[in-house]
Amino acid sequence: MKTLFHTLTIATLLLLLIVGTTASALAQTARIEVSQLEHLTAKASETVDVNIDEKLLQMTAKLFSNKGDEAKIKDLINGLKGIYVKSFEFEQEGVFSNADVESIRVQLRNPSWNRIVGVNSRKEGSVEVYLMTNGSQVGGLAVLAVEPKELTIVNIIGPVDLEKLSELEGQFGVPELGIEDIKPKTKN
Amino acid sequence: MKKYAAIASLIGIALSLFGEFVVQAKADEFGAAVKTIEQFYHVKHQSVPLVARASLKAASAAAKIRGGDYKRIAEAGSVRMVYFENQEFDSRGSISSFKTSLLTAVGDTWTSLMLTLAPQTEDQSYIFLRSVGEKFQVLVVTISRHDATVVQITVRPDTLAQLLKDPEGMGKAINDDAMTDN
Repeated sequence: MKTLFHTLTIATLLLLLIVGTTASALAQTARIEVSQLEHLTAKASETVDVNIDEKLLQMTAKLFSNKGDEAKIKDLINGLKGIYVKSFEFEQEGVFSNADVESIRVQLRNPSWNRIVGVNSRKEGSVEVYLMTNGSQVGGLAVLAVEPKELTIVNIIGPVDLEKLSELEGQFGVPELGIEDIKPKTKN
Repeated sequence: MKKYAAIASLIGIALSLFGEFVVQAKADEFGAAVKTIEQFYHVKHQSVPLVARASLKAASAAAKIRGGDYKRIAEAGSVRMVYFENQEFDSRGSISSFKTSLLTAVGDTWTSLMLTLAPQTEDQSYIFLRSVGEKFQVLVVTISRHDATVVQITVRPDTLAQLLKDPEGMGKAINDDAMTDN
């Protein structure tokens, strides 16, 4: 009996370790590297950089009430591990290159990322939405918005509710992307 | 055995004293931020007397937090503020170098929550955060072509939660609030 209990304890600990490591790895890899775009700062008319980590998000979620708009935001950010935004605005077209945009896309070609098709935006240019999944688990989301004079990368780490993504626009530094609807079809 | 225990204790004390020294030496990031601005832009700061803050408050709109109805943002007595008025802030195309210098000066005990840079107008704002017990300290650096302010305040978590809803409006709300007699 004692041996069985001992074995079960070890098995549980191992399982917890595996689950913890997987979740942590998923959260880590959902973070998009944007430091290679730093050279655009001097050329941009405005650069915005927002970094809201898990601790701040969860503190905010705890402090919001369960009524009205606060309840909606609370629901949205619950469980999120980070919101990161990098945005450049330029006075002229053609300041950033395809290589700059590709440096983001190449990270999103990783098999764990899936591009969601059927994303409509009211803004001109392209808005690409990518979701990182591991089975049924959502590990994060990336939005790459490319306009002639604007380049925006939004990176949300953690389980994001796609249907409510548009509600995050204008909150926590997430810019207005003009996302109207997202059909949950994906392709690599 | 006793001898080893005594040596270990001494090493422990020495390490903790060294740790204390490092913390103290790096403690005043507010001052480091001010110094970085002065050295990079060759400008000189002015402090804001309390009386002046009170009169500025009368002239400025009350601090507002989106979705909140807060009369004050900063905890009483927590405001540190210096300003630079009618001086020339021109990085001559090296705004990124200034950003790097400021981030280094503030150090890694603070988290960079948000920064905005506009190289052509020299407009810049930086918001740094760190937790202090149950509360948070916020350090805001705002620079424009001819003026700049550096403000540090302590806020309650519920106030910070409201501020976080609109990080872009946060710096202005804190600057407005710091203009009041605290």
